[in-house]
Amino acid sequence: MAPLVSRKTLIGGMTVIGLVALWFGLTTLTGLVTGARFPSPAEFWFSLKQINGRGYAGSTLASHAVHSLKLVLMGFTVAVMTGVPLGLWMGWSRRVEAFINPVFLIIRPIPPLAWIPLAILWLGLGDAAKILVIWFSAFVPSAINAFTGVRNIDKPVLEAARMLGTPRWRMVREVILPASLPMIFTGLRLSLQASWTTLVAAELVGALVGVGFVLNMAQQDIYPGMILVGMVTVGILGWATTVLLARIERRALAWNVAARD
Amino acid sequence: MGSISFRNVDKVFGHGAGGVKALDDINLEIADKEFVAIVGPSGCGKTTCLRMVAGFEAASAGSVLVNGRPVTAPGPDRAVVFQQFALFPWKTVRENIELGLRNKNLPIGERNDLVAGALKLMNLETHVDAFPHQLSGGMQQRVAIARAYVLDPEVLLMDEPFGALDAQTRVVMQEELVRLARHNPRTVLFITHAVEEAVYLADRVAIMTRRPGRIKEVLDIKAVRERENWDSHARIEDVMDLESFVHLRTHIWKSLREEKGFKDV
Ligand SMILES: Nc1ncnc2c1ncn2[C@@H]1O[C@H](COP(=O)(O)OP(=O)(O)OP(=O)(O)O)[C@@H](O)[C@H]1O
Ligand SMILES: [Mg+2]
Repeated sequence: MAPLVSRKTLIGGMTVIGLVALWFGLTTLTGLVTGARFPSPAEFWFSLKQINGRGYAGSTLASHAVHSLKLVLMGFTVAVMTGVPLGLWMGWSRRVEAFINPVFLIIRPIPPLAWIPLAILWLGLGDAAKILVIWFSAFVPSAINAFTGVRNIDKPVLEAARMLGTPRWRMVREVILPASLPMIFTGLRLSLQASWTTLVAAELVGALVGVGFVLNMAQQDIYPGMILVGMVTVGILGWATTVLLARIERRALAWNVAARD
Repeated sequence: MGSISFRNVDKVFGHGAGGVKALDDINLEIADKEFVAIVGPSGCGKTTCLRMVAGFEAASAGSVLVNGRPVTAPGPDRAVVFQQFALFPWKTVRENIELGLRNKNLPIGERNDLVAGALKLMNLETHVDAFPHQLSGGMQQRVAIARAYVLDPEVLLMDEPFGALDAQTRVVMQEELVRLARHNPRTVLFITHAVEEAVYLADRVAIMTRRPGRIKEVLDIKAVRERENWDSHARIEDVMDLESFVHLRTHIWKSLREEKGFKDV
């Protein structure tokens, strides 16, 4: 008979239970870690109730979360819609690569977060500045991986397409794009991570709403319970978007055995 | 029309001292609707010859002509069956075979008929919607052949097309190819390691030397086939037992054996 839960799930569940028990043990039970450093489960629960009910840092957790999620998705989309085509184009044409590569070489060593002050200076504390910074940071992995994807296309496959008389635009849509899709998705995953990292950082520095702003306010209020609420929220949002992207990837790459497991 | 000419063709890969001479003064005239097989030691430049006709490789000296005009670029008038299949992994069997016809802008009805015919011919009807990675090597090779065949090209370039097939399927495919070649002849340049296959299929067999490849000898098989009436035998094994067949085969074998380092028969 097959077990009700798989071995992997069982072990994973036990690890989570163990961690929560450890958390409870170190804080509430023994008091080894005081509430001023790290919240106990009860304090965490209290903070969660507070932000969901009365709100914190100007609004409820849901509206902070939705706002951050919206910005990430917008910035991510803009980055991907520009980065992937540019990467494909650079991969396809040596001339375009020669033209654009120097720009990459100059911009890449600058950590994306270093753009935040300039973005705020230009666009203020609103959404536009956040999207700009996410774009800067998430654009690069998308472009570079799309570029690598094109460069690694199996040469005989391209030759076969040319032999069949495939016109230019169909070549891009039906050969180059699908052939580089596994690498493109690798880029998208990195871009998504970069989007969250950058957004939280940007909201920490200057924002009026959003999960990063909650974290910033809670730090200023010396409020560990609320800091943990912010951290957990970002974690859950990041995890959910990653899972969604993985689903899309599995659909899009159904033909690819390597991506199956 | 689909004649092929190699005129004093040299091919050197790389430049200067690091250059490797792959082909040395190749001369070969293939008439329209003629079936020519090339045999030769591994690495002697067979694939390179075929790639120059296909338009993937330029001659370093001399000229490669199709219908009297120099080859400049690949195109569907010269369909290629690649040594490594080169299927599109993200396309199903049908989509792989269909792409060339879509590029020709054939009406969908006609396209479907042609694809159905090719699928039937290659015995792929049960795997129409499979992706290449779900197929055996032999089946992938059949898809590659169908993809080229469905274009009804003037020139068919086949690089060891039966290499990945098991012995039984191989025989079936060989008989099928002979049947097609007699019914609907077209120009075929066919590369193989299998001497018997070359003699069975081709009108002429060109034997190459080891690298740098030269054409060592060209045998007229067609004259013998017609004189000895090979086509009156339906089965390949009956043809292969004929004295005239054995004689040609042995001749080619000996000729190849002379090429030192040849271990691939
Ligand atoms: N793109 C290339 N660059 C450098 N050398 C090459 C290139 N293509 C082929 N060669 C060399 O040219 C020679 C002929 O190669 P080719 O593939 O035509 O041989 P072949 O007769 O088809 O061999 P096989 O029977 O093993 O398929 C080989 O020595 C090979 O290493
Ligand atoms: Mg070869």
